[in-house]
Amino acid sequence: MNDKEQSLLRVEELTILYHSPSGVIKALDNVHLEVRPKEFLVVVGESGSGKSTLALSIIGLLPQNAETQGKIVYKGYNMAELSKEEWTKYRGTEIGMIFQEPLSSLNPVQKIGGQMLEALQIENTRRGRPNKVYNYSTRGIVMTESKPSKDLETKLTGQIRMLRGGYKREALKEVYDWLKKVRIADPEGTAEKYPFELSGGMMQRVMIAMTLSQKPSLLLADEPTTALDVTTQAQILELMRTLMDSQDTAVVLITHDLGVAAQVADRVVVLYAGDVVEDAPVQELFSKPLHPYTKGLLKSYPKGTKIREKLETLPGSIPDLRREIVGCKFADRCQFVNEKCRNDRVQYVEAEKGHYVRCTLYY
Amino acid sequence: MSDARFTTDGKPFLRVENLSKFFAIKSGGLFKEKKLVRAVNNVSFVINRGETLGVVGESGSGKTTLLRAIAMIYKPDSGNMVLDGETILENGQIRRRPLGQIQMVFQDPDSSLNPTMKVRHIVSEPLLPLEIGKEELENRVLESLETVGLGSEFFEKYPSQLSGGQKQRVSIARALTSRPKLILLDEPTSALDAVVQSQVINLLVELQRKYMLTYIFVTHNISVARFISDKLAVFYAGSICEMGSTEDIANKPMHPYTSTLMKAFPIPDPAKRTLLQTKIFGEPPSLVNPPKGCKYNPRCPYVKEICRNKEPPLDEVQPSHWSACFFSKEIFD
Repeated sequence: MNDKEQSLLRVEELTILYHSPSGVIKALDNVHLEVRPKEFLVVVGESGSGKSTLALSIIGLLPQNAETQGKIVYKGYNMAELSKEEWTKYRGTEIGMIFQEPLSSLNPVQKIGGQMLEALQIENTRRGRPNKVYNYSTRGIVMTESKPSKDLETKLTGQIRMLRGGYKREALKEVYDWLKKVRIADPEGTAEKYPFELSGGMMQRVMIAMTLSQKPSLLLADEPTTALDVTTQAQILELMRTLMDSQDTAVVLITHDLGVAAQVADRVVVLYAGDVVEDAPVQELFSKPLHPYTKGLLKSYPKGTKIREKLETLPGSIPDLRREIVGCKFADRCQFVNEKCRNDRVQYVEAEKGHYVRCTLYY
Repeated sequence: MSDARFTTDGKPFLRVENLSKFFAIKSGGLFKEKKLVRAVNNVSFVINRGETLGVVGESGSGKTTLLRAIAMIYKPDSGNMVLDGETILENGQIRRRPLGQIQMVFQDPDSSLNPTMKVRHIVSEPLLPLEIGKEELENRVLESLETVGLGSEFFEKYPSQLSGGQKQRVSIARALTSRPKLILLDEPTSALDAVVQSQVINLLVELQRKYMLTYIFVTHNISVARFISDKLAVFYAGSICEMGSTEDIANKPMHPYTSTLMKAFPIPDPAKRTLLQTKIFGEPPSLVNPPKGCKYNPRCPYVKEICRNKEPPLDEVQPSHWSACFFSKEIFD
């Protein structure tokens, strides 16, 4: 954390509380996190660890009952203080997001081509280009023309007239180019389809194309491949990795699967019950895990063909986050537990260079 | 090539021969031809008592339909099945329903446990058609709950009061009450976190040893399949494309699809980054209009002319190792 200037996103002492009828849930507890430009960061955690809350807080989409404490600093601005209107400027264009279920992220009653055009027109407006803003509707392609403006709200005002000839070709070419970039074999045919006509993998490709056409500096992906098959998952992850590298976009990929982290990450952050328990470069985390939870999690993955031997596992389950926990949240399941763990808030320390851990064994 | 796949010294516990299950789909118009989804197409295998057959493949490859056809939840369209020496299916006709002898555990405990029923009633349900006395029934329910590590304190609970792992334990307890010989497990750990998954796998292995249970374990998770299975069957588009001992297939796959599937699986080891290096083409085929010839040919990097015209048979390419590829030996030897 010495190179503060270098970081693209810095999350400082972030605590998220959900107010629910059954009590206050501490979904994230004093989280520290840093994303450097062009970095592929993977956040790993079980269900209930707060990993989705982390993504939603970074992109400002937390539900009404959430309370935010702490700072989310993106390119020097504290995003936690942005108003709703200011957020519309940054969301999508600076920070993009891909969700787990592409079917619920895409508009079910609009053709793929139309949705792609919508994404491109926002990009054009943002760049202040002489606006050729395209609509892809039942009336055919229509073009909206408006003066260059930084305000996205004005994008829909202006003259609407039918697009033909050169304009049409230009608009379509951009759509096809993006579909080609995400390796959709038949871009012309796909643009004419509705989301339900596509497979899960194809829809996720379209989502990636739409998100990346905004040229965001940071891309959040919340379990983007969990609903997909292994082979499709491999295709999507490879595509993400390649496109990120060529566009210089930083990625925060959220997953429950340590396997995915091992295969694609530059750096891995492990979440447990709202705490960042460990943060290390990928090689180091897997070859030399420090936190007992990370160690246990790694061992619980079946390896090899040792038929009929017992898998190592962790006892118990994650604690109830409505309860105020003073010491380490992992203490009840930990084999190295001692006095220190139960009494004070456990410190987050740099145990080795670039390798952070929240555990009393290391200070 | 021997006809009895996985020939055994004694009698096999379950013999499945040419099992098929097709679904008719509506195609709109009155005079349009009926179309068939060939969900499970001519599948044959044999399992011994106390063994686990792992079934891996992509979604839509027919894994779940296979289980449901074996359990006769779906009436098979053709094929023979012999369970423990007794013919239960002959030429597609059900001869006898093996009541209580075959049980299933489903993927999603939230939708396979009735939310309005208490745990005691959920677990006792398989016993109802067996006409067992009330006292015996109580005992059996308690016994199976204890076997899966849950006590009588769970009797009066509803599924919503349980965690994901506990729900899956209840599903397993329900499958055990009728003391079945064969348990069909349909992705039983896919909805669980890694730690809970390892607890459930340990439980399943322990139960198998204790009661000599036979499992058919369907999963898309290759490392779970490798860990728990004695034999593996790899499904592609409704048929088995490779079958053999887990050891053989894991160490040396003989079908291009299996080989890709293995490389695409994310292993939690950054020193073995095979996933990003693997070039994977295309998408799983449609089961209504499957490709002509080998169903894998549009995605296969080794495709040759013959693959587009002729469907390769499931041949024994090495002792007790079957592969449905014309070029198994050329590619992998």
